[in-house]
Amino acid sequence: MNTASRGLSRRDALKLAGLAGLAGVVTLYPERRAFATAHQTLDLAVERTRLTIDGATSHGIAIGGSIPAPTLRWREGQEVVVHVTNRLDEPTSIHWHGLLLQGVMDGAPGFNGYQPIMPGDTYTYRFQLRQAGTYWYHSHSAGQEQEGMYGAIVIQPAEREPVRADRDYVVVLSDHTPERPASVLRKLKLGSVSEGYYNRSKRTLFDFFRDAERDGLDATVRNRLDWGDMLMEPTDLADVTGYSFLVNGKGPQDNWTALFKPGERVRLRIINASAMTIFDVRIPGLPMTVVAADGQNVVPVKIDEFRFGVGETYDVLVLPQEDKAFTIFAEPIDRTGFARATLAPREGMSGDLPARRPRTILTMADMGMDHGSMAGMDHGSMAGMNHGAMPGMDHSSMPGMKQGPMAGMDHGSMKGMDHSAMMGMGAGSMPGMDHSTMAGMDHGTMAGMEQGAAKGSDRALGWADAATPPGTKALSYADLRAFSKTRDPREPTQEIVVRLTGMMSRYIWTLNGAKFDQGTPIRVAYGDRIRIRFVNETMMAHPMHLHGMFVELENGQKDRLPKKHVVLVPPGQTTSVQLTANEPGEWPFHCHLLYHMASGMMTRFIVERRTASL
Amino acid sequence: MRLNIRTLTAASLVTGIALLTVPGLALAGAGEPGHGHAAAVGEPAKASSAKRVVQVELGDNYYKPESISVKAGETVRFVLKNKGDFLHEFNIGTATMHAAHQKEMAMMVEHGMLTPTGINTSMNGMDHSKMGMAEMKHDDPNSVLVGPGETKELTWKFTKETALEFACNMPGHYESGMVGKVAFTR
Amino acid sequence: MRMITSGLRRVLLLAGALTLVVTATAANAADPPHAQQFHEEPAILSTLLVDRLEHRWKDGENTLDWDIKGFIGGDTDKLWLNAKGSKPVEGGAEKAEFQLLYSRLVSEFWDVQVGVRHDVRPQPQTTYAVAGFQGLAPYFFDVNAQAFLSEDGALSARLEAEYDLLITQRLILQPVAEMNVSARRVRELDLGRGITDIELGLRLRYEVAREFAPYIGVNWERKLGETADITRRHGEDASAVSFVTGVRFWF
Repeated sequence: MNTASRGLSRRDALKLAGLAGLAGVVTLYPERRAFATAHQTLDLAVERTRLTIDGATSHGIAIGGSIPAPTLRWREGQEVVVHVTNRLDEPTSIHWHGLLLQGVMDGAPGFNGYQPIMPGDTYTYRFQLRQAGTYWYHSHSAGQEQEGMYGAIVIQPAEREPVRADRDYVVVLSDHTPERPASVLRKLKLGSVSEGYYNRSKRTLFDFFRDAERDGLDATVRNRLDWGDMLMEPTDLADVTGYSFLVNGKGPQDNWTALFKPGERVRLRIINASAMTIFDVRIPGLPMTVVAADGQNVVPVKIDEFRFGVGETYDVLVLPQEDKAFTIFAEPIDRTGFARATLAPREGMSGDLPARRPRTILTMADMGMDHGSMAGMDHGSMAGMNHGAMPGMDHSSMPGMKQGPMAGMDHGSMKGMDHSAMMGMGAGSMPGMDHSTMAGMDHGTMAGMEQGAAKGSDRALGWADAATPPGTKALSYADLRAFSKTRDPREPTQEIVVRLTGMMSRYIWTLNGAKFDQGTPIRVAYGDRIRIRFVNETMMAHPMHLHGMFVELENGQKDRLPKKHVVLVPPGQTTSVQLTANEPGEWPFHCHLLYHMASGMMTRFIVERRTASL
Repeated sequence: MRLNIRTLTAASLVTGIALLTVPGLALAGAGEPGHGHAAAVGEPAKASSAKRVVQVELGDNYYKPESISVKAGETVRFVLKNKGDFLHEFNIGTATMHAAHQKEMAMMVEHGMLTPTGINTSMNGMDHSKMGMAEMKHDDPNSVLVGPGETKELTWKFTKETALEFACNMPGHYESGMVGKVAFTR
Repeated sequence: MRMITSGLRRVLLLAGALTLVVTATAANAADPPHAQQFHEEPAILSTLLVDRLEHRWKDGENTLDWDIKGFIGGDTDKLWLNAKGSKPVEGGAEKAEFQLLYSRLVSEFWDVQVGVRHDVRPQPQTTYAVAGFQGLAPYFFDVNAQAFLSEDGALSARLEAEYDLLITQRLILQPVAEMNVSARRVRELDLGRGITDIELGLRLRYEVAREFAPYIGVNWERKLGETADITRRHGEDASAVSFVTGVRFWF
């Protein structure tokens, strides 16, 4: 019955056959020169292991003997050599997530001439570090990343750090399941037989009665019919459940602990190395100052929590003054558990566990629909914002709100806004609205505009609603400003539309409607300035990852667009980025949700010399 | 057992005194009317009265040097050169004063009076009274804002030894480590 | 006539076997070589769902009924094997139907299916060509519609629909409806023209695990029109209500 393992062995045979022919190509590659000049040499073995989480033991795969893999501490400008030995009985690979390097060293099998590392083989990676910051590395083969093949990379800058910290910790968040990834994928793909296998929060008859009591029978029936008509489940927030959520490989009870002395400045390099989990991260009682996103320095921004896409990293500084323990708390957006760690002045302490946040319900707006009910809220009618009429508005909770673009906002004319029609209005789910001009407006305070959240944070509506309490600040992409000015201020000459598509019930995920290698690769000319417009036509968020190059998020920050290697595109939304195609090669471009990528949500992004066709 | 109780009583007495004293100090620091702050912090002085000049480089987001030694009673002329791309502050005060000032600065940035790179002069005509921000001006005597590329000065008399920091309270800068210690030497 | 039809049957079965081979090949070919290097997506998926395996208590004779489906294939092309039937608790099968279908995804929610159906019981054994579609209709109705052309050229059709109503995450009420239609009288099989029979069921299952759910329920079958007359002429009831207990499971 286990077709997956059969499939693997068949593939192995194919690869073994292919390798005989390709081995020559690999050894001829110029990166395999003499290694004598390397500044850093390191051996990493990949092998099966066991890991114990909160007392329960299961299987995993370790790089360098541990899960997560050892943190690689390097320095900008160094040339590093890493020998990776495969001690598994299946092919493996290691991809250096976020690093700028030559294609063959990127570690994505099937791209740039890189071949997977076969069982028993050793592959030598060699590259010069052209950047500083927090990055990570993980397997790019099968479901191995889910099984524990991930670790942090910390690159010290060659020049002075723009931030100073007394302590520096790596915080790797991940999700672990005792199930084999192949089995997870199979259950997701069995369609009608296993429909909604991992969703244990579907709407039931009881929910119907509860909603009918609250919203009225008519509204509830209409709501159910709307979803039924589209054959969608508004509780579909995550594809896979049954996860334990880990901090540096430790479960919530294991309680990974980092020490500080009160008054110290602590830098946390937080990495979302999950296979499938988008988190909401906070440290109750301790505001965080974000100083880097995806390894790249940003103008510091003080926040209370952030939403964390798979593959992203944020460096934050915290200044704990009190002699007490603080809890680093990360809840997956489907709220099926939490990851937890402690910042404490002494070993053995544990911070309080905060109240769990409610699980949001998706709305029609998350489907990119429901524009009609938002009609009254166009920018025109927001003219002439009257501060006097906003006595209840707490300015301190809106640090990111830009005066300029919002200057015309007239709250007075919003009085007539039909709140019942906004039932479905999630904090960020305002498709009719141009988000770029709303730079910095934080979701927390917007949540208060909606009925559900107004009652308190016991209910959340819409994908973006993290149930952030009023008066606290959740990071918004619009808050991110690159620390250095954009190096390439040219207007993009080419715009590429990437529709994020899929057949959820079949678990076929696609880009522009095509599975990997069934669609047309994206081709751009070397040196060009490109705009990519992600149009998310699905009701899930997709963390889109481009290998080889940073993209610059068009978030309204003009000449300081933040550089990202993963951009989380919310359901039903459009997000655009720019990039300078200055790394030649054939780069993977995919959704970083592991099972989405495995189901086809990937394409090739080819940067090549300009030809007549480009 | 009795000994224990006696020890406890003694300890709580000591703690009590400490608690009484500490807020007293804090009050003396922050409770002074206006922006004058406490005498303990020191006071502005004329540049000509300074016997010593200290050059401070303001970068993104750091100071060089990271600590400055002064003597109680000494008047120092600080020459502040901003070599960075961002607007920075040089503010002498206690940690508590800085924390309070950070909130004010954050509000000024929110309202566009300050931008990350400079002072928004077009905002000067804005009627802040409507916003309940009549006093929102950056005119503290213990602080100076230095724009990118600018060089400014602050002369300060350190009247007596106390725990002082020089800091930039632009949002996020203090948190990033743009703060240094004023070390009193004898 | 029967001689010719046994020949036809052989042809149909051969066609079915061919379909199997073609499907397997197509599913394999669908995976390009690069994808195999780091996609863990299995080239071929397969599953077997025992949708209903139940004991029916009714007036007179109790029966054991089954409805089993399985597929093998890729995202787009699949081969389905369906088996459905009924037997008295004591004794041999009264109804036993097998289907081998090539299934192709035509939209997110629909598959078109063609293939063969062979009924071992009732006697005489009959083989049909099958064309139909299976999928999820708006409002989450699982629908299966099939048209059959028998080896004797008789045209018939079947429409099945079911719905899962979640009372809790694990307790699920499932109404099921089935209707059969025949274009002409089929004397050997006691079928009349028009709607031959309908069946309505209501089953309440508890998913101990997603893969395993015992259930209880009621089932009502009613023969209609000419078919009902024929049944009555045989001295049997045209309708039957039964109480059912059974299990649903899949691998």
